[in-house]
Amino acid sequence: MGRSKQLEAAGVVIAVALLIFLPRVSSDYVVGIAITAFTFTVAAAALNLVYGYGGLLSFAQLAFWGIGGYCTALWVMDAGGSFWTGLALAAGLNAVLAIAVGWPALRLHRDSFVIVTLAFSLLTFLVARDWVGLTRGPLGLPGLPAPTLFGTKLASTQSIYYLSLAFLVASLGVLYAIVTSRIGRTLLALKQNQPLGLAHGVSPTPYKLFAFAVSAALTGMAGGIQVFYLKIVDPSILDFYYIQAWLIMVIIGGAGTFWGVVIAGLVMAALPEVLRFSNELRMVIYGAILVVAVLALPQGIAGWLRERRIARLRATIERA
Amino acid sequence: MIPLLSVTGLAKSYQGVRAVDGVSFEMHANEIVGIIGPNGSGKSTTVDCITGFQTADAGDVRMEGAPLQALAAWQIARAGLMRTFQTVRVYEQLTLEENLLAAMAQFDATNWLDALFRTPRLRAADSSARARARTLINMAGLTRYHDAPVGILSYGQKKLVALISALMPKPRLVILDEPVAGVNPTRIREIEAALRLLRDEGETFLIIEHNMDFIMNLCDRVIVFDQGRKLTEGTPAAVHADARVLEAYLGVRP
Ligand SMILES: Nc1ncnc2c1ncn2[C@@H]1O[C@H](COP(=O)(O)OP(=O)(O)OP(=O)(O)O)[C@@H](O)[C@H]1O
Ligand SMILES: [Mg+2]
Repeated sequence: MGRSKQLEAAGVVIAVALLIFLPRVSSDYVVGIAITAFTFTVAAAALNLVYGYGGLLSFAQLAFWGIGGYCTALWVMDAGGSFWTGLALAAGLNAVLAIAVGWPALRLHRDSFVIVTLAFSLLTFLVARDWVGLTRGPLGLPGLPAPTLFGTKLASTQSIYYLSLAFLVASLGVLYAIVTSRIGRTLLALKQNQPLGLAHGVSPTPYKLFAFAVSAALTGMAGGIQVFYLKIVDPSILDFYYIQAWLIMVIIGGAGTFWGVVIAGLVMAALPEVLRFSNELRMVIYGAILVVAVLALPQGIAGWLRERRIARLRATIERA
Repeated sequence: MIPLLSVTGLAKSYQGVRAVDGVSFEMHANEIVGIIGPNGSGKSTTVDCITGFQTADAGDVRMEGAPLQALAAWQIARAGLMRTFQTVRVYEQLTLEENLLAAMAQFDATNWLDALFRTPRLRAADSSARARARTLINMAGLTRYHDAPVGILSYGQKKLVALISALMPKPRLVILDEPVAGVNPTRIREIEAALRLLRDEGETFLIIEHNMDFIMNLCDRVIVFDQGRKLTEGTPAAVHADARVLEAYLGVRP
């Protein structure tokens, strides 16, 4: 136990040190890919909290991502606010929306959560495309200005990279604190056996809403950072490609395993870019990976490793 | 004296099948009461209605005089009524220790902020919960599985896990639905002794079981169910001697 914690800490320190160093040895192109990899990894890790730990397959993550992007952009462009308060606003708005959508959805059947969250994402897309007065419709808001920090413009790709990296580390810190706490254990317990949880005095709804709201807030901020990196937000921020990518990261990494999903997120967001697939081909390849992964590794790579560890454990206990 | 649990006129039908048909009984603190009866006689349904896992059609359930019907299952548990399930329920992928900690988590004075920020209060609650978990794990003879996921255990071992999980928060009343079905005979006698010891320490048990030796050795009082009704109730010896009980089991009607 103590040893694996030490390994974890060492791994994190080394990884962060390498990532801090990365822009010094890479082109802007690679650094840009890394920015997206970070925001995607936060979105995937947030999906892992609701789905992997909470057992709720949420398609609303796409809406939260888009709403986060639009909210931050509109706050800066139309209200004249700062990027940072825009991000905070995106987080708060998304948390409120998550509770407003999640609370009634959870009162219905478990499967209805999937439908309701899917509908919410589709509705958000329609609003983005058709409510021209608010969102500028299909053209979106181009020319988003660089955020400023203490009077300095974060204009370069490098500075956005460090912003995105800091956000990644902070978000993963929050998520890690949750999943390793009693709250995370209770979420897993409810997912595995909700009636037993009730018999142990657990009220499921607050736990699930908490997970949903935290994931919504973090996904919204990730979306805000992503659009200010792209310097534009338009309805394509609500493309299904995004949620498909995060779902694959969660499934391949192993739903309900923290580091599995983080590593899958970082690797899978970067790989197709590095291998220079076209966008359409990437969708097809992702789709194929998803099908194969679900068939061959229903618990993800981390789940597969866990099974093997259990098999070994069983063997040693039986030998003893 | 107000009874610890009182059930009056409890009734529940499933699509016309009268699973429970006007059952009344009382329990006092520190008793071990058994419920026996043929398959399908409404024993589990009665427990489900008492613990909020089913909504009764009629009747009244009170714990120390306070009505339970309007409460959700989790609220009834928090009021100090823990139960196990006939078809064993455990958190398969959590370790044995984690299973027991999860059963205890709603019963100490810590809140969500304590949990997120690992306050001293949380660490104190955690370490006393771990100590209690270790005691119960040792008592159940599962010491070597302490850190193993419960999914690797046998059915009988999982029954034990469910039992000691229910004991974790020292509830006021523990309801066990067939605790020794599928458990090996030596272990059954150990469970018997352990439950008796816990009773001496103040615990109260309501136990559904088909294993007659277990019930007859352990219980102060036995309630016999037949076709959704209480057929009779009395000491193990009296129930054993009652001709109607045998008839109910053999399906012979006078
Ligand atoms: N969820 C349900 N839906 C429909 N019918 C049910 C349900 N649960 C129980 N029943 C029916 O209610 C009756 C009583 O069942 P119950 O499980 O309470 O009996 P039991 O005394 O616990 O039996 P056993 O000793 O076999 O566990 C049976 O006829 C059963 O088929
Ligand atoms: Mg039963």
